Amino acid sequence: MSEQKLILDAGPFRVGVRATEPRFFDTLSWFYRDSIRDNGADEVLDYDIHVYRPPSLRRWIKPQIQFGIDGMQPFEPHPLENAFPMYEWGLNWCIATSAHRYMMVHSGNVAFDDQALILPGNPGSGKSTLSAALNLSGARLLSDEFGLVRPESLDMLPMPRGIPLKNASIEAILEFDGAAPLGPTYPKTRKGRVRHLRPDSASQVQQAAPATPRWLVFPKYRAGAEDVLEPLDKAEAFRQLAFNSFNYKLLGETGFRTVDRMIRQMDCYRMEFSRLDTAVALLTALAGRGGGQA
Amino acid sequence: MNLLCQLFARPAIARDWGAGQWNTFLPLARSARLLGRSLYLFEHNDLIDVVPGRLLDQLRGAVAQTRYVQGQALRELRHVARALGGAGIPLIALKGGAYLVAGLPSAQWRNLSDIDVLVPAKDIDAAERVLKQAHWVPSGDFDEYDRHYYRDWMHEVPPLKYPGREMEVDIHHNLSPPVSRIRIDAERLWADASMIEGPGGTHIGVLAPVDLLLHNAVHLFMNDELRGGLRDVVDFRDLYGHFFAADPAFGRLLCARARALGCGRPLYYALTTAQRLLALQVSPEVIADVEKHAPAAPVARLMHRLIAEVLAPRQPAKDNWIAGQLLYIRSHWVRMPAGMLFRHLTHKYFKQKRTDEVSAQDLPG
Repeated sequence: MSEQKLILDAGPFRVGVRATEPRFFDTLSWFYRDSIRDNGADEVLDYDIHVYRPPSLRRWIKPQIQFGIDGMQPFEPHPLENAFPMYEWGLNWCIATSAHRYMMVHSGNVAFDDQALILPGNPGSGKSTLSAALNLSGARLLSDEFGLVRPESLDMLPMPRGIPLKNASIEAILEFDGAAPLGPTYPKTRKGRVRHLRPDSASQVQQAAPATPRWLVFPKYRAGAEDVLEPLDKAEAFRQLAFNSFNYKLLGETGFRTVDRMIRQMDCYRMEFSRLDTAVALLTALAGRGGGQA
Repeated sequence: MNLLCQLFARPAIARDWGAGQWNTFLPLARSARLLGRSLYLFEHNDLIDVVPGRLLDQLRGAVAQTRYVQGQALRELRHVARALGGAGIPLIALKGGAYLVAGLPSAQWRNLSDIDVLVPAKDIDAAERVLKQAHWVPSGDFDEYDRHYYRDWMHEVPPLKYPGREMEVDIHHNLSPPVSRIRIDAERLWADASMIEGPGGTHIGVLAPVDLLLHNAVHLFMNDELRGGLRDVVDFRDLYGHFFAADPAFGRLLCARARALGCGRPLYYALTTAQRLLALQVSPEVIADVEKHAPAAPVARLMHRLIAEVLAPRQPAKDNWIAGQLLYIRSHWVRMPAGMLFRHLTHKYFKQKRTDEVSAQDLPG
């Protein structure tokens, strides 16, 4: 099998992907068609990733796929059909373990013009589903999973990647927008059934343009609940934002100061929702109103 | 020669680097845990302007992580020093921890994943007991054989860890295993070590400069972790340069001390490797002196080839499996008698096989 190579922008990171699997390559090119760099050899890379079938006897029975970086294999191989989710997860691992140049917030992030709405949350909070729905409604997708903040300027740097929708979220998004650009279904991953939403072209094309943190909303999905969007005490918002940052502790004083300044410049809310359309309308109205009372 | 070594030998070459070289540099430096050291090198050679911006961000990210880990390490060292101090057991910080405590130049970039401390041989059982009473626990699942291996054949107790904290603590009572061919008289290490007072009245010892380098040499060339070992060669070169700048006789003192402690051979490998791979400047007299400890010429040639293959591969972790295996076997050979080595490697082999079977079952799908 011949090896193909692609160079992609993932926000501030430039990623080289070498792979021998044509199907994986097609999927990758479909998701990131507006993030591909074409002057190949002259690009300086952050991560040079190798996706390949490990040479073992299993390849004849149950083929597997391996993630390689820096000549190392940080994880066990995955089943071949899960090459794309493995790549996405592997790149996240690379970033999470090395990008301490930034404060990394575990959040979905969208922007209205250059004003960022940050939606931190644990798995199950609905942040990925909300980010996906907001992007489908015309907000610019900054990133899902990682909110990258430059401590000096508080700029939030976009990193538009496929948004992994899990289990019932897939149907929720299809119900929200029947034409949502979803990739292949991966029925069995470690997080269950997964399908990724492709970020729209505009978000990919504008991925070098940072946004300013403006609204902070802690979402919580609750089946059957009435929608609630209410101001959150700033001390509590500080605690929760710090808690939702991957490297708050690691960054020490820089982390403290970054969260402090972010909280001071943002309007902070908590939100409960059960329906995507009303939740999206609430958040869009919040942004449309421009200011806030919090 | 490997690009990272070229850079450390002649930093100015980075001025001529294009994307291809930078793309070779980053994976090599990342896998050798030398990102922070590289940033330090670029800063001190007025080369920051030539480093691509995204790579500077990578290097600065690595330094942020290092600062955090260093803080954790110092904190753990003080906790250990306080616990042992209460029982009247002195300790000496080794390797990365020592560089931090002594404020050596490598403290500016040196990463570490655990802390190594030396206690007097007569106190090692008490030290383990004291730490366990103070709630440190074994950091892994060690079987009876592992415990026997650590305690009776090697020079340490199984690693300990305090619940909720990240740093492992390795307690040693010597720099070389008791069963190895090298027997260092640990009392001489203690006699020349200096004690540094830290916050809260804790006292942490640091080996004499010559012994810091000899420990580095013994560790690198009698250890089976050679694979990530270019960092240790850089440490050696940096330490040598630092102490030589303060005392031009340092090289001679080092050779004399190596002879006195019976570790001329590891010093020979360390000095000549730092010279070959990283252009360490050593005077001809010192080289002539240390070459008295060289093995037979064909062995030395083979060893230098193997060492270069493993420590300075052209690409990270590629094609050096055989060299790595040979050095792995040698590292055990030099520290264990043959019968013991055979038993150890067969036990490791079968244990590895069992682990492979377990992890194969855990695979997703």
